[in-house]
Amino acid sequence: MADTLLEGRDLVKHYPVTKGLLQRTIGWVRAIDGVSFTVERGKTLSLVGESGAGKTTTAKAVLLQEKLTSGSIFFEGQDITKWPQSKLKTDYRPRVQAVQQNPWSSMNPRMRVRDIVAEPLVVNTKQTKQQNRNRVLELLDQVGIAAEGADRYPHEFSGGQRQRIAVARALALNPSLVVLDEPVSALDVSIRAQIMNLLKDLQAKYNLSYMVIAHNLATVRYMSHTVAIMYLGQIVEYGDTEELFNNPLHPYTKALISASMLVLPEDEDRQIKQIILTGEMPSPLNPPLGCRFHTRCSEAQDICSQDIPEKHAVGQQHWVKCHHFD
Amino acid sequence: MSNNIILQVEDLHTAFFTRKAVIRAVDGVSFFVREGETLGIVGESGCGKTVTGLSLMRLLPEPSGRIIGGKIIFDGRNLVELDKQQMRAYRGKMISMILQDPMTSLNPVYTIGDQISESVKLHQGLPDDMVEKEVISALRLLKIPAPEQRLNDYPFQLSGGMRQRVVGAIAMSCHPRLLIADEPTTALDATIQAQYIALFKDIQQKTNVGIIFITHDFGVVANMCQRVAVMYAGKIVETAPTSVIFKAPRHPYTAALINSVPRLDRSKDDRLDSIEGQPPSMANLPPGCRFAPRCTVVQDICRKQEPPEVKVGDEHSVSCWRVN
Amino acid sequence: MSIERKKADDIVKGFKKRRTATLQWNFLIPVAVLSLLVLTAIFAPWLAPYPPTQTSLTERLAPPSFMEGGNPAYFLGTDTLGRDILSRVIFGARVSLSVSLLVILITASVGTLIGIIAGYTGGRIDAILMRITDISLSFPAILIALLLAVILGPSFGTVVLALSLFGWAGYARLVRGESLRLRQADFVSQARITGSSSMRIMTRHIFPNVINPLIVISTLQIGMVILAESALSYLGAGIPPTTPSWGAMVSDGRNFIDVAWWISFFPGVAIGLVVLSGNFLGDWLRDKLDPRLRQL
Repeated sequence: MADTLLEGRDLVKHYPVTKGLLQRTIGWVRAIDGVSFTVERGKTLSLVGESGAGKTTTAKAVLLQEKLTSGSIFFEGQDITKWPQSKLKTDYRPRVQAVQQNPWSSMNPRMRVRDIVAEPLVVNTKQTKQQNRNRVLELLDQVGIAAEGADRYPHEFSGGQRQRIAVARALALNPSLVVLDEPVSALDVSIRAQIMNLLKDLQAKYNLSYMVIAHNLATVRYMSHTVAIMYLGQIVEYGDTEELFNNPLHPYTKALISASMLVLPEDEDRQIKQIILTGEMPSPLNPPLGCRFHTRCSEAQDICSQDIPEKHAVGQQHWVKCHHFD
Repeated sequence: MSNNIILQVEDLHTAFFTRKAVIRAVDGVSFFVREGETLGIVGESGCGKTVTGLSLMRLLPEPSGRIIGGKIIFDGRNLVELDKQQMRAYRGKMISMILQDPMTSLNPVYTIGDQISESVKLHQGLPDDMVEKEVISALRLLKIPAPEQRLNDYPFQLSGGMRQRVVGAIAMSCHPRLLIADEPTTALDATIQAQYIALFKDIQQKTNVGIIFITHDFGVVANMCQRVAVMYAGKIVETAPTSVIFKAPRHPYTAALINSVPRLDRSKDDRLDSIEGQPPSMANLPPGCRFAPRCTVVQDICRKQEPPEVKVGDEHSVSCWRVN
Repeated sequence: MSIERKKADDIVKGFKKRRTATLQWNFLIPVAVLSLLVLTAIFAPWLAPYPPTQTSLTERLAPPSFMEGGNPAYFLGTDTLGRDILSRVIFGARVSLSVSLLVILITASVGTLIGIIAGYTGGRIDAILMRITDISLSFPAILIALLLAVILGPSFGTVVLALSLFGWAGYARLVRGESLRLRQADFVSQARITGSSSMRIMTRHIFPNVINPLIVISTLQIGMVILAESALSYLGAGIPPTTPSWGAMVSDGRNFIDVAWWISFFPGVAIGLVVLSGNFLGDWLRDKLDPRLRQL
């Protein structure tokens, strides 16, 4: 059965908006509002949504980059939000690493690749220089960077190669979970496949868990086992990847899928229906009442602007928050 | 779409002259665009697609970038031969351009209204009240809600998608006949990207503008363009109608590019085809076919001689030894 | 081969590649000038034809030897007291170079330390440190320096202390701004995810990335310090007057500029050479130190 590595339970993060000399709080930005998810060992969970949906905040919470307003994160069954800093530093941080979106800015331009990849080892372990050196070469080999690359600077590599180096750095401490923040979206489409294939191979080899943040559904489908569709700080649909793509229930999920489809000119003649959402996501400072998606939903009815939709389970691993999902 | 060709590029050569080397970024490129038609130029970063766009606008970085051969025939005139003054009359008015990043292509200290009216005033010489009317109609064309109120907004008050629409409004404000769009949707979210593309299809119907859509993403091409030109290392390796190229790509590079796009209409378990290796450095090109070092079906001749361009169908030509 | 291709090929062939500079003049010349000046300063007693303080009232205001009426014994002429200008310029290098180097070293170190801490830590610490910096910037530095000279008595140490006391604030502002920007950089947040301590982030990630602007400012600062030193000398709060310094020599000659321009001119040339060499060297170093530019 499922072996849960990490679980987020009712994560909430509200940022105060202050004004004036006295820093009076005049409102709250509800970046995430009751987000729950699980990451299985050796599996991939993807958080999908537009900018401002809260996916980055969720990832930052998992990476301890943001302090949660409320909610708990369970790591191997233990609530790490109750752990002291010292325990987090030794037992959690080294096991949860990250690869960032932009391979051009995620590396110190003044460090050599050797030192960039060794950084987690130097900071977290007491290994000798020689041990670190060997480990770096081993890691670079795993991600397909030749050993000569170790002495070069990041700017001497292309975007795809840099992202490989970033993956090597994330794997240095043998983490259990790697948070991948849009790992391929800054790369050329032709290079994306290389990186996605590499990530999949490494996952299989080391039984890694991934938490992927992405806005491109096709990428997500290729990478993940479970998908959470986020809208305005909440998960609106959650489920097994294939199940969700074959049977999308939430109108927002349907629109996202439609936006990612290839529509050839002759398909257009055959009137394949493409759903194009009107408007943009409202501000998280003042989310709409009822269902937060109702302002852009083509199927919205009166109830949608009044009542918050409940979670409806539609299968073992699939649920949706919508008033009329069928 | 009519058969009226508005832009004909013939054997264009553009090079950058730097202290250490001459980089032939665009090396003999030919294509045409019809009125009301969208041509996609697709390729990886560094293949010369952006330089091609800048060459058409004659906006190459001075003094290193120069057009060193070929013709750009727009509306019966060869733009390569125009002097700077004459070219300025074309830019913005007849041909305009949208750049990739909506965050940096608007000036943060001017209002939306100021930025659109700048080009309207420059090219149309209208009285002030007419200018405002033109500006508002440009905002309407781009379906920017409440255009009268938006006039006084500053760029930071708008979302990324709205900013890119404003950039579009600036580009369309003087009713150009040709629009060059360089990765205009890459920085946008998926649903906003779909909105933008639908919007431009609609604008094209209304104005009959010809569009050159520069992108690295074949997915966008499928949704937007009637014809595609695939560029690799400064050359067009294949050009064809979109539907033909998706069904039967003839160049191995085109095929690999199309297969590297993860698609929702394919099985999830298909392993993505990745194109191994990196594009060649433009300062140090391989002899023969430039794609040969990365090609999976390479033959001896590919490494020695450059393949000629061969016509393989209606508006479909390809440069590959495999096709001969 | 098409006509257009042939045309393009011809243009490319016609373009002569500039010789890749094997000799880097923009590095060699400033280094040569600066090393020459440093050597001059070190070996001053052996190089100078006269002791710098030796007066000769009969030879007052002698023009340089290569000019009409010049005395062949005084190559660059003499000043109002008949002291040899050449000897004084040679000895003046000692004071001017050591003051400026010392002051720059002190101000850059203090300013960088404060700037990085303020910029990276942020919040209250930043606010406090930056208010101190503002206060320091708003003080009339020359006035305080005068006060110090009165209290401590004019000496080499007083001049260095006086010039250092306020010079750090400019560095602090600059470095703080850069650190503030770098704090948001992806590679810094990556270092935090990795578990790096603040100390390590400041030394390993922020500091190497603020070196460039530091170097540029420092080379510009060489001239500023030499000029400030001369201003102090002019006010009588500088190095005690018998010791020659370039700045003091320039100001000494000011009243005689119409009759004996050489008194100010030659020390002025020396100051100019140092400032220019410093700037050239700074430019060269910036290009070299930035690994992104190294390939170009």
